[in-house]
Amino acid sequence: MDTELIQQIRDKARSLLEEGTVEGVIGYERASDGVTARPFFAYKPSATERLIFDETCAHNLVKYLLDRRGKKMAVVVKPCDSRAINLLLNEGQIERDKVFIIGVGCPGMVETSWNHKSETLQAKCRSCQLSKPLVYDFLAGGELERQAEEETYSDVVEAEAESLATRREFWLEQFGRCIRCYACRQVCPGCYCPVCFAERLEPLWVGIRIAPEENELWQTIRSFHLAGRCIGCNECERVCPVGIPLSLLNRKLEKDVKELFAFQAGLDADEPPPFATFKKEEKLELGE
Amino acid sequence: MSVEYQPKVIGFLCNWCSYAGADMAGTSRMGYPQNIRIIRVPCSGRVDPLFILKCFQSGADGVLVSGCHPGDCHYTEGNYHTRRRFALLREFLDYLGIAKERLRVEWVSASEGQRFAELVSDFTAELTELGPRSKV
Repeated sequence: MDTELIQQIRDKARSLLEEGTVEGVIGYERASDGVTARPFFAYKPSATERLIFDETCAHNLVKYLLDRRGKKMAVVVKPCDSRAINLLLNEGQIERDKVFIIGVGCPGMVETSWNHKSETLQAKCRSCQLSKPLVYDFLAGGELERQAEEETYSDVVEAEAESLATRREFWLEQFGRCIRCYACRQVCPGCYCPVCFAERLEPLWVGIRIAPEENELWQTIRSFHLAGRCIGCNECERVCPVGIPLSLLNRKLEKDVKELFAFQAGLDADEPPPFATFKKEEKLELGE
Repeated sequence: MSVEYQPKVIGFLCNWCSYAGADMAGTSRMGYPQNIRIIRVPCSGRVDPLFILKCFQSGADGVLVSGCHPGDCHYTEGNYHTRRRFALLREFLDYLGIAKERLRVEWVSASEGQRFAELVSDFTAELTELGPRSKV
């Protein structure tokens, strides 16, 4: 644990609360297992002593800003999570002057389970190249050198190379396991519709039945709604109780959006997203 | 005795160009396969990817989305959005194991009755060749 970094976060959080700049600070605290971390909301200066930061702080805290729209909040943001800030700013969901961003240089997050911390970096961290958050008001701990250990899309390219029938079989097996707990949606900073299509009864797009074909519809449209919007925090995959490789879907779309529209979500708060704009001269191999 | 395989095709046609084009094919008494079930939509931009997935889930073998030629949209720019959306969806469906040939996006104007008839015949023939879609 980097005690100096943690002290910087605590000091900043404390002074923000004492000065009344923000109503609350969203950060991490040690979970009750004593090993992993959990989100923590500090509303009193004294509570900031509980804030921590280490390689188990995988949660994307930006999601919690959505429930606190209009309130001035400070949030601890890792480099990957900072893309979510840009996404929500771009979509007009949060206001920049209502959010104080405590950025942290990130050493990469490790795989954890209850009461256990492994040495393996999470997949998203193995291909990460961000040395510091893209947007922040205060940077704790300074920039860190990051060297990507893996290609971002190597597994997607592998999956693409399989035959159509193999792909079909693979995804049906994966979707067949889905229990539709909707944890992937609840944790996603990009999923904030007041009424989700999956829960609409009129028309009933996704049936109540937990069956492979209903799950397929849910998972396909869920990821498609995030096409050009997914910022790759990979929280959906982390929280999935049955271990469906959701990042294979999200990163396939991210890769295609990059190739077709030269766009990547969350890098810039002002660039219009691919589906809100178009180029008249583009062909895209449709109807020609 | 085997029954010949007939693909089920759903067609989303925009009110202003393609639906009128299909109408033109009809009034000109041009023949085209009856496999297509046409759904009229105000604009091809109205077609949500959800509709396509729902079609496939409900047993369609192919889906046709057809609108005005780029630049001719009744709502100025609806079909430009359609084009972007479905360029991505076709790739994605293919990735999930639904051949991208099963989703076609074409531009048919109100005067192209002949072209519409040919398009449907061509698409149906292609789907017959591909065979039934493996059910979920």
